Amino acid sequence: MKQFSKLLLLGMIVAALVAIVVPVGAQDVPAGEGGTIIESNIGDDPATFNPIIGNDTVSDAVSSWMYPNIIALDDVTLVEAPGAPGGLAESWEYDETGTVLTLHIRQDMFWSDGEQITADDYIWAYNAIKSGQTTSPRTAQLYQLDDGTVTDGTIHSITKIDDFTIEVVLGTVDRDEEGNPITDDDGNLVLLPNCAALSDLNSIAVVPEHIYAAAFGMDYAGMDADPYFVPEGENGLATFGVFTDPFIEFGVQVSLLANQDYIDAISGQVTPGEWLMQNVEDQTVEYERFLAGDFTTIGVSADNQNALRADGSFQTIEYPSNGYTYMGFNLADPSNPQPGRDEDGNLVDQGIHPIFGDLLVRQAIAHAIDVRSIIGSRPDGDNPATGILEGNGYLIATHNHPGLSSTDDELADAGVEPYAFDLELAASLLEEAGWVDIDDDGIRECQGCLYATEVDASFEGSEFEFELLTNAGNNIREATGETIRAQLAEIGIVVDFQAIEFGTLVDELVGQEFDAIIIGWRLGLPFNAGAKGLFGVGADIPGSGFNFTSYQNADYERLVDEGDALAGCDPDARDALYVQTQIALWEDLPYVWLFATNTMIAAQPDLAGWDPLPYNTQWNIDAWSTSD
Amino acid sequence: MTRHIFRRIIQSIPTIFGVTILSYLIMTAAPGGPAALLTFGNIDDENNIQRQQIEERYGLNDPWIMQYVTWVAGNDWQVWKNRTIINEDGEEELVFRHTTQGVIRGDFGESFRQRRPALDIILERVPATLELGIASLLVALLVGIPIGIVAAIWHGGIFDNTSRILAVVGNAIPNFWFGLMLILFVGVFLDQPWARGNRCDLSANSRTGCGSVPIYQRMEYLLLPTFVLAYGGIANFSRFMRTSMLDTVSSDFIRTAYAKGLRNRTVWWRHAARNSLIPIATFLGPAIVGVIGGSAITEAIFTWPGLGRVFVESISSRDYPVVMASVLIASLLTVVGYIISDILYAVFDPRIRF
Repeated sequence: MKQFSKLLLLGMIVAALVAIVVPVGAQDVPAGEGGTIIESNIGDDPATFNPIIGNDTVSDAVSSWMYPNIIALDDVTLVEAPGAPGGLAESWEYDETGTVLTLHIRQDMFWSDGEQITADDYIWAYNAIKSGQTTSPRTAQLYQLDDGTVTDGTIHSITKIDDFTIEVVLGTVDRDEEGNPITDDDGNLVLLPNCAALSDLNSIAVVPEHIYAAAFGMDYAGMDADPYFVPEGENGLATFGVFTDPFIEFGVQVSLLANQDYIDAISGQVTPGEWLMQNVEDQTVEYERFLAGDFTTIGVSADNQNALRADGSFQTIEYPSNGYTYMGFNLADPSNPQPGRDEDGNLVDQGIHPIFGDLLVRQAIAHAIDVRSIIGSRPDGDNPATGILEGNGYLIATHNHPGLSSTDDELADAGVEPYAFDLELAASLLEEAGWVDIDDDGIRECQGCLYATEVDASFEGSEFEFELLTNAGNNIREATGETIRAQLAEIGIVVDFQAIEFGTLVDELVGQEFDAIIIGWRLGLPFNAGAKGLFGVGADIPGSGFNFTSYQNADYERLVDEGDALAGCDPDARDALYVQTQIALWEDLPYVWLFATNTMIAAQPDLAGWDPLPYNTQWNIDAWSTSD
Repeated sequence: MTRHIFRRIIQSIPTIFGVTILSYLIMTAAPGGPAALLTFGNIDDENNIQRQQIEERYGLNDPWIMQYVTWVAGNDWQVWKNRTIINEDGEEELVFRHTTQGVIRGDFGESFRQRRPALDIILERVPATLELGIASLLVALLVGIPIGIVAAIWHGGIFDNTSRILAVVGNAIPNFWFGLMLILFVGVFLDQPWARGNRCDLSANSRTGCGSVPIYQRMEYLLLPTFVLAYGGIANFSRFMRTSMLDTVSSDFIRTAYAKGLRNRTVWWRHAARNSLIPIATFLGPAIVGVIGGSAITEAIFTWPGLGRVFVESISSRDYPVVMASVLIASLLTVVGYIISDILYAVFDPRIRF
């Protein structure tokens, strides 16, 4: 008996030690009893729950929990991976031309109502988008719509071979020197392989065809009239994802419940019981409410990161943002915006901007902006934080994914450095460009500058003055603009800096009547290094295109085209080509790339199972649990 | 009175019509169209197909007057707007652009942003706005008017001077700052969840919505936004009432009341205060509209799902149908507000006849 008591005591001590030592995350929380994951939403309500017509990040955030992708991304590398959780495709292969892709899809996936997921579920969404009847933004990924409209995307057709095999014809249309599509003897378009086209397949959703077809038939436009349609049939809801059964209170929050039928759960079960996305006005309120425990995780803005880091009581992960802030120049004549190409596909002479048409001037400005002082430094002992970003940012040299380039996972480092802050060099470049302070009033004037010598002689004597715009309400951009205004004043440049309402800014921007602008891009993942949508001549369309700087570089276009259409799509060989495009952009300076902010995602101390990956902090959300 | 109200309603029709024309003209003339905003950043769409589709769907390339006519009278009769496509069977099929019946048939159009009827978006926000609006107006009146009366009774005294200082402070403090400070102090420092915004305990009501919770079970959530919205009104009403009272007490009929030997309390509260309310009644109509339309900032700070927030968001996103529905409803409320003013005027002053 005494022996038994000793053993019992020992057992209890061991059990107590285990309970103390084993981390909270390893404790077994029954499925669905892991509490509520609450996220914040600084923005509007989701416009729809339907992934076919979704057009905004909030809608995508909701529907991504309920629907699978045709091809899932690897959680770590964020590139398409066969058989990755949440994706239909378990393997694929191209034909010898590189333009016909055969996808083999998994046979173990079922909607939550018990119906098997098949090729029909993808084909229905494809047909809906191709009909052109919906407001789906995904039409841009298709080459042509049913009504004949050529949208010039990379997907030419998607065909069901059998329930678990899909054939996709995809690629870039080969064109003759005049820009006309080349056809073969049968009148079919000749396609070139497009290595980036695989990503486009995920633009088309996978939806339960048996429910959608019953609800809408071929009246695809009906989806727009019922944006909060939830697929529910006789056997219940038909979704496939960690969460399901959405409920929205407009202007307040969206609620999803755990889907215990989700077979791809990383942890084998869905632990949280509910996911909430609550509307919040701005980052200030969001941050304070997070500190008070209202939100499970948030993205922490640069100006709050040092305080949260010093606090130390929250879980955090930090990595360079997959976006950047830049100062963009209008390279063409702002008084007469024109498209990059005419109707026949020929390059259009767009004139030059009186100031920024000269590369020397752009180089001078790049050297005159002290980006390091804008980024600043984090607090160190008694020394307070400095700079606008208080040290929570990274220098970048060109259009690149700052996180991926730093880890060299996806895009080779272009080997170029940010333009060094050097006022003397900037001043000498300006003088070489014909901008000198003639009257010694501290402001430079044109004396033989490019525009006066090549376009309009009456420009001679004009002061170096331009308008710099950004969107009001973005504190970092506003402060950056003020700093640039002050820094450029030191080399005799007058900057009329204005922070204006976003809608008005967009109008100025796409209208191509601006001088210079401070704004940012968030780069998509998987990262498309080519970025012809930003720098290609085809995207130089006053009123709508995003190459609003009117950047034109035939070498850049050729390199991107070669990289996109490289036979075999060898990643290293493609990288080598894209590196050259990065160098071209760095040399030509359509933008002065300023910085990428530091991303900090913070989670409540009691959130168990949180194991974030950079750029993919929610990959194992099914394992999370809170003590609420 | 009935005749007067009827006449005022008839007179308001061209006014509202004029307001909508002006609003539409100004709105469409503003830089930055809805299609540009909705598609900005979609860099994969090199040919801007999506933007063209949105413009086509909602007729955004039409001249503003045509867009206005469509908003008023719909487009289901505009046969020239249809187009043909070739369907799966190779046959020509007529496709209608997004159709609307126009406001005169009760169709306020579809929100560009949310793709739902604009009227639905407005109506679902009305209860929250009325809750906050009525509460803050009541607080402003029930606190502001007595303060004004008491300040007038003891004018020049400590209470009068204190209320004057508080009124100046109340007018000077911006409500967005005050709201944030209250959230920070009560909600964060004092750790009161109800003081961090919203209409109710969101987590507890995530599957039903706050509207399903009786208001008496969530009164604490109304406290801070009501106070933030009301304190400016308290300041204004107290000063107006004080001035009006001082004006009234110097009248002959007040001297007569004293001469009759009435008690001070009767003179002040029954005779002076009632007559002093007449000018306040003039403010009341516009105040009703102001409380409803002017609460956008407070609603935003407290994440209160009301009309003001929708109005501001729809302007920012150039969501014309929602903006116009808001303008129309605000115009109607203004008309109703002024009619209420007229009625109150007559109630407070029986000498007034329309």
